[in-house]
Amino acid sequence: MKIEDRLSLLNYKTDKSFAHITVDHNICETCPDNFCTYACPAKCYTLIEGKLNFKYEDCVECGTCVVACSHGSVSWNNVKGAHGVKYKYG
Amino acid sequence: MSEFDVIVVGAGPAGSSAAIRLASKKMNVLLVEKSDPPGTKNVSGGVLWGHELDNIIPDWEKTAPVERYIRSKTVGFLTEDSSINIDFRSRKFDENKSGYTVLRVKLDQWLAKKASESGAMLVNGVTVDRLAMKDGKVIGVEQDGDTITADTVILAEGANPRVAIQSGIREPLKDHDVAIGVKEVIKLPEEKINERFNLRGKEGFAGEYVLGFLKGGVEAGGFLYTNKDSISLGAVIFMEHLRSNGNTHSFDIIEQFNSHPSIAPLIEGGKIDEYSAHMVQEGGYGSIPKLFGDGYMIAGDAAGFSFSNGLVLQGMNYAIQSGITAADTFMELKEKGNYSDSALSLYQEKLQKTFVMQDMENFKGIENVTWGNLIHQHLPGILESVMLEIFMENGTPKRHMYKILMDAMKKEKISSSKMISESFKMIRRL
Repeated sequence: MKIEDRLSLLNYKTDKSFAHITVDHNICETCPDNFCTYACPAKCYTLIEGKLNFKYEDCVECGTCVVACSHGSVSWNNVKGAHGVKYKYG
Repeated sequence: MSEFDVIVVGAGPAGSSAAIRLASKKMNVLLVEKSDPPGTKNVSGGVLWGHELDNIIPDWEKTAPVERYIRSKTVGFLTEDSSINIDFRSRKFDENKSGYTVLRVKLDQWLAKKASESGAMLVNGVTVDRLAMKDGKVIGVEQDGDTITADTVILAEGANPRVAIQSGIREPLKDHDVAIGVKEVIKLPEEKINERFNLRGKEGFAGEYVLGFLKGGVEAGGFLYTNKDSISLGAVIFMEHLRSNGNTHSFDIIEQFNSHPSIAPLIEGGKIDEYSAHMVQEGGYGSIPKLFGDGYMIAGDAAGFSFSNGLVLQGMNYAIQSGITAADTFMELKEKGNYSDSALSLYQEKLQKTFVMQDMENFKGIENVTWGNLIHQHLPGILESVMLEIFMENGTPKRHMYKILMDAMKKEKISSSKMISESFKMIRRL
C-alpha cells in the first residue's frame, strides 16, 4: 500500500488557524541532504522541482522531523485544542 | 498555596499510573492530556509487561483491555529469500503470564479513566505550553497564557518531550537517542489468526525480526504481534542508520517487511486498517536527562526509559513503574513540604532501587549491540548460508560445520577474529 493510501486511513481534526510545525525556507534552500524527506514517516516533506514543500496537515506528531533536521529549520510545537491526528488503535 | 498537590502532564501509562497512585492516597491531582479522548495520539508495538500494575490496579489482568497473552515468541533473522527463527512456546505462560498484546487507544483510555475514578481531575484536549517558573523553580504549568500551580509537576509527556525541551529542562533529542517506529494494524478474523499462528482462545504470538534484506542496506528491526482480531506489524529504524544510509524513506520499510516471503502469508487477506508512526526511545542510559529539579520530576518515555536488546522491546513497564515511583516520592516529601531539587533527588534514589534504573545502568551501551553491524549486517547472511548448505541436497559430499561457517563468514566479509570479538562483546552486553 502506498504511503498516500496509508495516510488516507487516518482521522485528523485539522487546525486551520495554527500550524504546529513551521520550517524556515531560507535554511531549506541551502540544505545539502533533505533528510527530512526520508525520515518523516507521513511524507509531509517532499521536494517539488528541487524545492522543499512542507504540509502539516498529514503530520502524525511523532517528532521525527525536528530530530532529523540538523540545520535548525524545523520548529515544533504540540498541537492545541485536541487537533491533529486521532488514532483508533494506536 | 498551590492549586494542586501535583500536576501530571500526559495521560499515558506513566502519567496515569502516577495520577492513580496519588489520587488513591487522597492527593489533589490534575492530569492534563492534549488528546481527546486520551490515548488517541499514542502508539506502541505493543506488548505490555504489566506486572507493575499490580501495585495500583490489583485486578488489572481481569479488567484491562488487553488483546491476547503471549504464549508463543519468535526471534528471527530475515534475508531476502529466507528466515531463520528461534521459536519459543510454553505452557508455563498459561499460568504465569509474561506479556499481553495491547492497543494503546483502548489501554490508555482505560488507564486515564482509572485515574479519574481514583479522584484525579482529568482534563482532555488541553495542551500544556511550558512549565511555569518562578525564581528558577517550577511552580506549575502554563496553558494559553494561564498559569495553573502545583507543588510538583510530573512530566510524563512521552517520546517527543516538547514541554521539557521548551522549558529548558532537557536537551533536544539527537539521532543516537531515538528510532522511528512505523506500524500498521491489519484486520484479520480471529479464527484465521489462531490457525496461522497455532493459537487457541486468548493465546497470542509476538515476533521480533532483524530485517537483513532491506533495499539500500538500511538497517531496521521488525515486529509482528497478534491482537484479538487484528495484527500489529511494524518496523523500528534507528535514526543514525537512516541518516547514514541516506536514500531510504522510513515509510517504505514497512512495505518491504510485510511483503517478505515469510511474513506475507501470515497477513494474507488481511486489510490494513490503520497506519501510525511514533518515535521510540532507543538511546539507553546515555539518553537519560536529569530526572528531577526544583518542583518537577520526569517519568516514562520523556525520561528516555525503554529497553531493547533484540529479544524484547519494553517501554510501558518502565513508564508505569517510574510514574508510581514519582508519585511515591512526592508523598514521602509531603510531610515536610519541601520539593526542592535536593529533596526531589529522592526520586532518582528510589528509581535506582527499581528495575527501571537498574536495567538502564546494567545494560549501558546495549543500543550499540542492538543496532550493531554484527546483528544487522553479518549475522542474517551467515546464518542463511550455513542453513542452506546443511539443508540443501545437491549431490556433493557433505562438509564439516566449521568449514561451512568459515566460508559463510568469508562471503559476508567478516574475519573470524572480528566475529569472535564482536560476538563476545554482544554476549557480554546482553
